[in-house]
Amino acid sequence: MTDWAAAILAAAGTVLVYIGARKFYQRFSYPITLPIVTGTVVIIVVLLGTGISYDTYMLGGRWIEHLLGPAVVALAYPLYKQRKMLKMYFFPLLVSVTVGAFAGVLSGYYLSRLAGVEQALIASVLPKSVTTPVAMEVAASIGGPPPLAAVFVMVAGIGGVVTAPYLFKCCKINHVLAKGIGIGSASHAIGTAKALENSEIEGAASSVAMTLSAVIVSIIIPLLALLFF
Amino acid sequence: MDVIRIIMHIMILYFFYYAGVWIQEWFNLVIPGSIIGMLLLLSLFYTKLIKPKWIAMGTSLVLSHMPLLFLPVTAGTIVYLELFSGSGLWLVAIAFTSTLFVMAVSGMTAQIFAKRREQHD
Repeated sequence: MTDWAAAILAAAGTVLVYIGARKFYQRFSYPITLPIVTGTVVIIVVLLGTGISYDTYMLGGRWIEHLLGPAVVALAYPLYKQRKMLKMYFFPLLVSVTVGAFAGVLSGYYLSRLAGVEQALIASVLPKSVTTPVAMEVAASIGGPPPLAAVFVMVAGIGGVVTAPYLFKCCKINHVLAKGIGIGSASHAIGTAKALENSEIEGAASSVAMTLSAVIVSIIIPLLALLFF
Repeated sequence: MDVIRIIMHIMILYFFYYAGVWIQEWFNLVIPGSIIGMLLLLSLFYTKLIKPKWIAMGTSLVLSHMPLLFLPVTAGTIVYLELFSGSGLWLVAIAFTSTLFVMAVSGMTAQIFAKRREQHD
């Protein structure tokens, strides 16, 4: 098969899997049946079953991945539409995202230490709460392998969106802004995509949290690494 | 017509994306180009140089199907599947636990502040 055919097949296949996953979610709506979960599982199972390598899949997969850049740019739209709300709550946003950023880095560090994880691996766990490119860059700057950092970013993203409804209930977090901030701080753009499905306000709060969090984490990790390592 | 409109809207988003990437590379920033592009677009909304409705259709389409765009990336976990068995599972568990902690702490902090603010009004 030529590269082009493989690429087209991979891209079309991904879209089909997504459509199927969405249909499935519309019929059976549970956090665990979110399209990002079932879609990921189906693609991985298909690749394992057919023996197609991830690199071959990505010939077409990267066309879809490439749209993530403009999609993040598009977040400016809900942010602008919710600007009055965000301005009014600017201080709570800033404080809670900062608290969340520290909570993520410190808990990641101390839990890893407790489990006796080696330093290079700790370095790739620490930036898990922020969007992939930032996490990879930050991990690399403190000696963690970037591809591994990306995996933990996915764990934070998918793990976060699946558990969010239960966690919010459990911690009595019911304010729409608080939910958006929680999911954006913990699960970056994957969380923001889910928040946008819930409401525009939640999506806007999540976008702010994800952006601020990326900035804060990329500043505090290199500084804390000086102390830790 | 709608298709053409959507394509034009996405092209505008791409323009901001590449402008952001360019700024990131030029100034050697850690913040990704996509986020810089978003801030650029947001500032143009504020200055009224660009009206949100000019790109509304394409933006809504892209945003409502964001999970699709993540699938190739999340499927990349396949390369590190062995991490999910054996000792690597510890790391996955740590990343997950820490994620829940972040969500709870930031969410509760935000809720306390937001509710206090509402009581003042």
